[in-house]
Amino acid sequence: MILLESHNVIVHDVLTDRFEKPSRADIQFVDYDNVRFHLSTPDSKTVLLLSMGIQCWPDLVKYGARDHLEKTFEGLLLSQGETEPEYDVSLRIDLEQIPQDPESRNALIDKIAHFKSTAMSAPFISAFEEQASLQANYKDAAGAQQMDVQPQEAKGDLKVVKYREEEAIFIQASHDRVTIIFSTVFKDETDRVYGRVFLQEFVDARKLGSLQNAPQVRYSNREPPLEIRHLPGLKNGEDWGYVTFVLFPRHFANPAQALATINRIQLFRDYLHYHIKCSKAYMHSRMRYRVAEFLKILNRAKPEVAVPQEKKTASGRTFRRQ
Amino acid sequence: MSNTLRPYLNAVRSTLTAALTLQNFSSQVVERHNKPEVECSTSPEVLLKPLVVSRNESERVLIEPSINSIRLSIAIKQADEIEKILCHKFTRFMMMRAEGFVILRRKPIPGYDISFLITNFHSESMLKHKLVDFIIQFMEDVDKEISEMKLSLNARARIVAESYLSTFV
Repeated sequence: MILLESHNVIVHDVLTDRFEKPSRADIQFVDYDNVRFHLSTPDSKTVLLLSMGIQCWPDLVKYGARDHLEKTFEGLLLSQGETEPEYDVSLRIDLEQIPQDPESRNALIDKIAHFKSTAMSAPFISAFEEQASLQANYKDAAGAQQMDVQPQEAKGDLKVVKYREEEAIFIQASHDRVTIIFSTVFKDETDRVYGRVFLQEFVDARKLGSLQNAPQVRYSNREPPLEIRHLPGLKNGEDWGYVTFVLFPRHFANPAQALATINRIQLFRDYLHYHIKCSKAYMHSRMRYRVAEFLKILNRAKPEVAVPQEKKTASGRTFRRQ
Repeated sequence: MSNTLRPYLNAVRSTLTAALTLQNFSSQVVERHNKPEVECSTSPEVLLKPLVVSRNESERVLIEPSINSIRLSIAIKQADEIEKILCHKFTRFMMMRAEGFVILRRKPIPGYDISFLITNFHSESMLKHKLVDFIIQFMEDVDKEISEMKLSLNARARIVAESYLSTFV
């Protein structure tokens, strides 16, 4: 498995099961970036309650996550007062009111399995909208002015989503692009070195002809990129990496494409770290094999000791030679 | 094999074979003790002149003979940060399994990456030329292994990056 799935497998599997046959449930599980889920049937077997706790919920609400969720999960989302305590948002799924035909059922399951990514996509969507309005205004302004007057580059406000304790996503819309910056920390020396190799490949991969249309990737370690350098509290040091994606309007031209882009990009950090861990595991298994080979070579140096064989007399008695 | 590696390994092989003339020797300092003299170095008269065989600045072998033991330390080529990490991981992995490799020292000598300690008991219980073969084989393979690991890391990184970015097209 090279690419990570953007939906939650547990939600998907449990819902598929429960839609067929309602039964009691009380499951707590987690997703990437310290997201907690709780799936339960508090009142009756046929009413499922799915609650989610996200660390960066205050940030997401600021960028309209609640409205976006309300729009996507119409009729399922519980109001703030009804939300399960200790969690940020809750969905109530009444199994007696779900659609009957398998196709729309699967669509519903799929939609709920994307609960986390839908919540996380709010700042991206608002940035894309902002970009569209900036682009429209920019054209007007440019038309009205003389050509020799350089128009001021229009920029939206910088959105900051602190999706992990120390790491954040910065999103900024501009008239012709949306810039997304990830800050990530490598806790381990080996991770840092591997991470640098991986990120360098992300930068280089775009040179390939087939990937010309992919978003531009830049990365810097130690120093944050210029776009966010003015922000207070940014860390710089050996362990820090900043990855910048530049999305052009063609990456979010239609809603389906925008959704795919958002789902892909919000998993970037998990994807990178997942593959770093995978490489470490691979190296480890390789070393295990190689060390076993070395041991075999060394053991060849030991002369084979002839095991003294037990000998028997003609009558069947055994004796040991002194 | 590159043309400088062969003479280097040959030099190590003949030096090591010559140095592996060990005999039982009890400690002169502590009664009824028998220790590898090269490690405790309490009696300077039984230590022989240490010798360095070096291929280039970063790759060298230090051979320290004594009457009943010989210590061999290898510095492995580390061209960049990745090779340094891989080499460190690999040698550490081996040294944690030192009880399996009876002749492996648990810690390298400062300035080297991995050390072996061969005592007269080892050379009595094992075939001397096979021991030398092992050391030479190790030196050959460890470079190969590290560069292969580095290549596989780069290849993986490339595939990962390409498959991620190709989803945007």
